[in-house]
Amino acid sequence: MTMNKNAKLLENLEWQGVSRRTFLKYCATLASLMALPPSAGRAMAEALAQAKRPSVIWLPFQECTGCTESITRSHSPSIEGMIFDMISLDYQETLMAAAGHQAEEALHKAMQDNMGKYVLIIDGSVATGLDGAYSCIAGRTNLEALREAAQGAAAIIALGSCAAYGGIPKAKPNPTGAVAVSDIIKDKPIVNIPGCPPIPVVITGVLAHYLTFGSLPELDKLGRPKAFYGETIHDRCYRRPFYDQGKFAKSFDDEGARKGWCLFELGCKGPVTYNACASVKWNGGASWPVEAGHGCLGCSEPDFWDAGGFYKALSMPADPLKMTAGAALAGAVAGVAITVANRAKKGAAKAAHETTTLADLEK
Amino acid sequence: MTLERIPIRVEADDLPMSGNAPAVLREIGELLHRLAEEGVGGAIDLRSLPFLPGDRVWLEERLGCGEVEISLQAGGLSTFSETRFPGVWWVVHRNPQGAVVSEQVEVTRVPDIIVADPNDVRNGLANLNDLISGLS
Amino acid sequence: MNEMQFLTWVRGPGLDIALSLFVLGVLWRLIEIYSLGRKKDLSAPRHKPGASGWHTIARRSVPPEGMFKTSPVSYVGGYVFHIGLAIIIFLFIPHIKLIESLVGVSWPGLPSQVVDLVTVVTLAAMIVLLADRIMKPTKRYLSGFQDWFTWTLTFLPVLTGWLAVQHLLLPYTTMLALHILTAELLLVFIPFTKLFHAFTVFGSRWFNGAVNGHKGVPV
Repeated sequence: MTMNKNAKLLENLEWQGVSRRTFLKYCATLASLMALPPSAGRAMAEALAQAKRPSVIWLPFQECTGCTESITRSHSPSIEGMIFDMISLDYQETLMAAAGHQAEEALHKAMQDNMGKYVLIIDGSVATGLDGAYSCIAGRTNLEALREAAQGAAAIIALGSCAAYGGIPKAKPNPTGAVAVSDIIKDKPIVNIPGCPPIPVVITGVLAHYLTFGSLPELDKLGRPKAFYGETIHDRCYRRPFYDQGKFAKSFDDEGARKGWCLFELGCKGPVTYNACASVKWNGGASWPVEAGHGCLGCSEPDFWDAGGFYKALSMPADPLKMTAGAALAGAVAGVAITVANRAKKGAAKAAHETTTLADLEK
Repeated sequence: MTLERIPIRVEADDLPMSGNAPAVLREIGELLHRLAEEGVGGAIDLRSLPFLPGDRVWLEERLGCGEVEISLQAGGLSTFSETRFPGVWWVVHRNPQGAVVSEQVEVTRVPDIIVADPNDVRNGLANLNDLISGLS
Repeated sequence: MNEMQFLTWVRGPGLDIALSLFVLGVLWRLIEIYSLGRKKDLSAPRHKPGASGWHTIARRSVPPEGMFKTSPVSYVGGYVFHIGLAIIIFLFIPHIKLIESLVGVSWPGLPSQVVDLVTVVTLAAMIVLLADRIMKPTKRYLSGFQDWFTWTLTFLPVLTGWLAVQHLLLPYTTMLALHILTAELLLVFIPFTKLFHAFTVFGSRWFNGAVNGHKGVPV
């Protein structure tokens, strides 16, 4: 595909046979997903139509390629596919044809040509143990590659829970000393798009926002775009009314489960998980975990892997109690010890008791 | 294969409702009032609401069917159905595979996307002129 | 520590510590109190109808004559918030789930909306009682540090639990963690403060009743 790099976006799309109405429909969908008013869809369309394709460099670190799978396996030809026509993805190991030295060359050329302007996408966590030696590409540690690539980036997108919060590599006991991108890079704007994997449209939404408004979207305290991570799974869940009515599935195949009741008791982490699964859904809007009958794992939250087990209700203990039996014994011993002391005191008092005689009173 | 084609039997005798649908109906009323007074409508994204199947049915029944039905073939089928309240449209956007990508209630005279864009009109005119000049 | 780690801590090690201190304290105090013992009363018991331990347990649950008119706030407020607390603690489904996971017994709960309403009423009753304690000179005079402290200990878990469910003030995760933390503080302090009356109230009533019944005096 030979697209003119300097052409405006809509021209490029029209050249590919994408009509204006298709584009408007995409923008309307995107705006509604981003919880923007419908008028914003129009504004977005106008701005996007004029946008130039920014250079995007995508570096994979300690990851499983699930994030890439998520985005490339989205329904095709998709709105997500469309946004990828809006950017110039200059380096992506999994998708690019080049390999080895050619790939490294492409990376450095893209970085030099777009110094200070490119968007850097990172998926995977950064290994810091043994000076980062746990994860290397082309003989260089991820740590080094990140520091170098971040220097010329206009903005960084930490894609997936690993890049955003350390994810599964950081799970206990964290053998590689895995950390999040934001633990290393402090002087660049970073957007976290957590999820294991993240919802495809969220990344395209963030890119669209960047293209449209020239800035990153509004973020929450954990660096996530509020438009997608503003509410919990629980709040947007279609099973929420059952929670309120106190109707819960007690096992995965009981009557409650068949009737689609709330999965809280089966360990659903929806109440503490901020993500858009309940409204955006998965696989082109076909379904999502809770609709498929399984509770939310909380994959878009930091340390979800160590948050007390996937099948334990949130109100249940996260770890087995270790000290309580010992404490019960200690309590009983303390009680008995004090009893013995009290009895001894009483006995002593009794022994010291002298009988009062009439003579004593007449003294 | 789209999800709609899988025959799903609902076990419950009557569809469960969350009680959110009446609130949405009131909001639609509010938007329509604004359209009538100020000429500015709005839209409600149905997919981002915690709706149970019964809520959707309830809302669909209350809004009913109006006179206009528009279908748009642009990156998948989109349908714009006017409800029995002129100015209130039930809008469903689908992708090329037929899966619903967005569903909204739009309150407007005519949905924006339907109106031909001046640029497209000019392009169309050029193409038509080419055709006409080719007639000779 | 982020919110999720905070929540996981209070659900894990925090809960372990709190429950351990609670169990330790309760066993210690119960054994200590019930092993105190009294000297045998050698006098012949004076039987009088209505004078016994069991009668006193029941009788002290209703206001003595004239007292209700003197301090209606204490009685109504006291009843409302004690019953409210019992409903919230033992009939809210996530709480039942917790108890089930700890001791293995469970029972049906109430719909969240009902518990929600009870919570609001309970909070209101507690605030009214606190205001009454501050406004009434006698009650204020009789109140010491423990009274203010135990009120706060009891109030906070109810308040944070309600705020968490209602999604007010702080994100749910943080509020839930605060709720669990304050409930754990309450657990830790129950055995070592006036709050221990939860365990001793009926025992001490029975004892008082029995002693006085022996003397032939209904109290």
